[in-house]
Amino acid sequence: MILINEARSGKGRFMEKVNVQKIIDIVGENNVKSDPGELLVYGADSSVHEAPAWIVVRPENARQVQAIVKYANAGKIPVVTRGSGSGMSGQAVPVKGGIVLDMKRMNRILEINLPDVYCRVEAGVVDDDLNRALKPYGMFYPVAPASSRVATIGGEIANNASGVRSVKYGAVRDSVLGMKVVMANGDLVDLGCLTRVEASGYQLDRLMVGSEGTLGIIVEATLKFQPLPKFRCMGVANFDKLEQAGDAIAEIMESGCQPSLLELMDNVAITAVNKTMDMGLPDVEAILMFEADGMVKEAVDFEIEKMKAVCEKHEGSGIELSYDAKERTRLFAGRKKLFPALSMYKELLACTSLADDMAVPYSKMAETARKIHDIAKKNHVIMTAYGHCGSGCMHTKILMEPNRQDQWEDARNAVAELYEYVNSVGGTTSAEHGIGLSKAPAFKIEKAASLPYMHAIKKALDPNNILNPGKLQDAPDDWVKATRLRYQVN
Amino acid sequence: MPMEFNRMKKWQDKLHVCIRCGYCFEFCHIFKVTGWESDTPRGKLIMLHGMMNGYLNPSEETAEKIFECYMCKRCDAACSAKVKVTELFTDAKADFVDAGFKALGTVSRTDPDKCSRCRICILACKHEARVYDAEKDEIVVDRVKCQSCGTCVAACPSGAAYSREGYGLSQKELRESVKQFLEGVSS
Repeated sequence: MILINEARSGKGRFMEKVNVQKIIDIVGENNVKSDPGELLVYGADSSVHEAPAWIVVRPENARQVQAIVKYANAGKIPVVTRGSGSGMSGQAVPVKGGIVLDMKRMNRILEINLPDVYCRVEAGVVDDDLNRALKPYGMFYPVAPASSRVATIGGEIANNASGVRSVKYGAVRDSVLGMKVVMANGDLVDLGCLTRVEASGYQLDRLMVGSEGTLGIIVEATLKFQPLPKFRCMGVANFDKLEQAGDAIAEIMESGCQPSLLELMDNVAITAVNKTMDMGLPDVEAILMFEADGMVKEAVDFEIEKMKAVCEKHEGSGIELSYDAKERTRLFAGRKKLFPALSMYKELLACTSLADDMAVPYSKMAETARKIHDIAKKNHVIMTAYGHCGSGCMHTKILMEPNRQDQWEDARNAVAELYEYVNSVGGTTSAEHGIGLSKAPAFKIEKAASLPYMHAIKKALDPNNILNPGKLQDAPDDWVKATRLRYQVN
Repeated sequence: MPMEFNRMKKWQDKLHVCIRCGYCFEFCHIFKVTGWESDTPRGKLIMLHGMMNGYLNPSEETAEKIFECYMCKRCDAACSAKVKVTELFTDAKADFVDAGFKALGTVSRTDPDKCSRCRICILACKHEARVYDAEKDEIVVDRVKCQSCGTCVAACPSGAAYSREGYGLSQKELRESVKQFLEGVSS
């Protein structure tokens, strides 16, 4: 076992490669850390992976980022850009070591332009903070990942994040107008524009969306925002059969409805919240939550009634509707408490972020949920199916005993089998959490035809391979062995 | 320094309950000022996990981080996995003390030169963290019991009880911070 302290010793790569004084000259002594504990903290995120950084650096502005990247490029030192480290697939884990660039100090909202309906923010601004700033103007930034209280805008763009409202408002890529990016050679470039439409050549800003820090370092973003709806109505329906809920989802989307939220919870999820939170949800195979929002009540009524009728047609029962904010919170409480409920499902079981956010066509939703259960049973793990079905996103988590080596074999098999199925029905590996390390094997199979072009783009923009190396198409084929696992495996 | 995890070992199988979502960041006062992830409950749990599993050597730097906590318990309430964060940190502090680490973090202390030995601080302390050591003739603070609430600092008539400053809370530091922010925006 290699102690992190060794990374700092004279024999380690760290001392050979990084001139700490040079870094201090750029960002100041108070913004550099190289204590072993710090290196460990900044080498972890919300995934199963861990790999210590060599040094942690907090830049304050684009000029400092440029200077660090120029220095790193000259010495071929890896640079791993980090927001809050809330990614679930190991995107921010410095698998090849190097400089971890913590962007949280660059957290200024630079401009809110109401006539032109855009805002400019630095990459380290937290999603909820931006929404707090927009609210007084009656506006909101709609991406809303579950981690919005901690996720930074830069991280959201780099992972093309989305959340419960993606069914109506889309993912980050639908909100980005432009950005400033520090390229691998240290150049600062302006990408995109301030307008809603642009047909001026290659859309390089779009290329940066979902690039996971491998093509450039986003230092500033121009985002469009939306007016806050005046009315919101939420509904809940219970289904005895998972297939009935699946059919209802497909028909709601097919019927031309515009839900602002459409969420599914399966029986494992229902059991989890009932068991650990005493929620008293009905013991059915599936619960569907649906919501409509808008400026005119009649329009919201129209949408919600239509969705209710579809649920009734597919034998949805116990349907409740409410415009009241408190009631809406009550109706959504089960879904909201699912995450902690899964963590506490059973002693010794860990809730791991694996195969966590595939997307499949609407018509395959119910079948995917069934498949998840079958694969879990076959591979001796517990998996649940829930998610933003309105945008085709199905979440799961693998509950397993992380200390047992054989359970990691089970998890590896379960993940591979599930993605084989997702691929066979035309789905995609990641809907909103990104690829990083743990989803890379499946991603490489799904995108086999375009991998050579991805490699070519990476080579052209980052010839020395310094920007978040070893991720996406360059990640190892075996995610279990890609890094040390965050759990103690016996 | 070698370290036994006599109290911490009961958490060994529970450290994995933290899913490392980072939702505690927003609720941690210390992180909101310093901005370092190692000051967050998640960061501290990662370090403790590293030490207990043998890939991070316990050090004064790490101990200092664990002792830096105002025990406000906002992280306990915010934790999406319901980890008993402050209870866990209290056990970790006790293990650090037993191993001989000197870290103080946010623990209150007393300047013996200013102290009049009136012992008001002992009466004021809700956590029974302060005692008078007759042999040394000074006030001794129990680093595990102290919850850094600051009551002793407020109660001390001699200005002898104090706790660590430097979290940017004074008016002067606040003005400086605002000035730096505005200069950054205009640059």
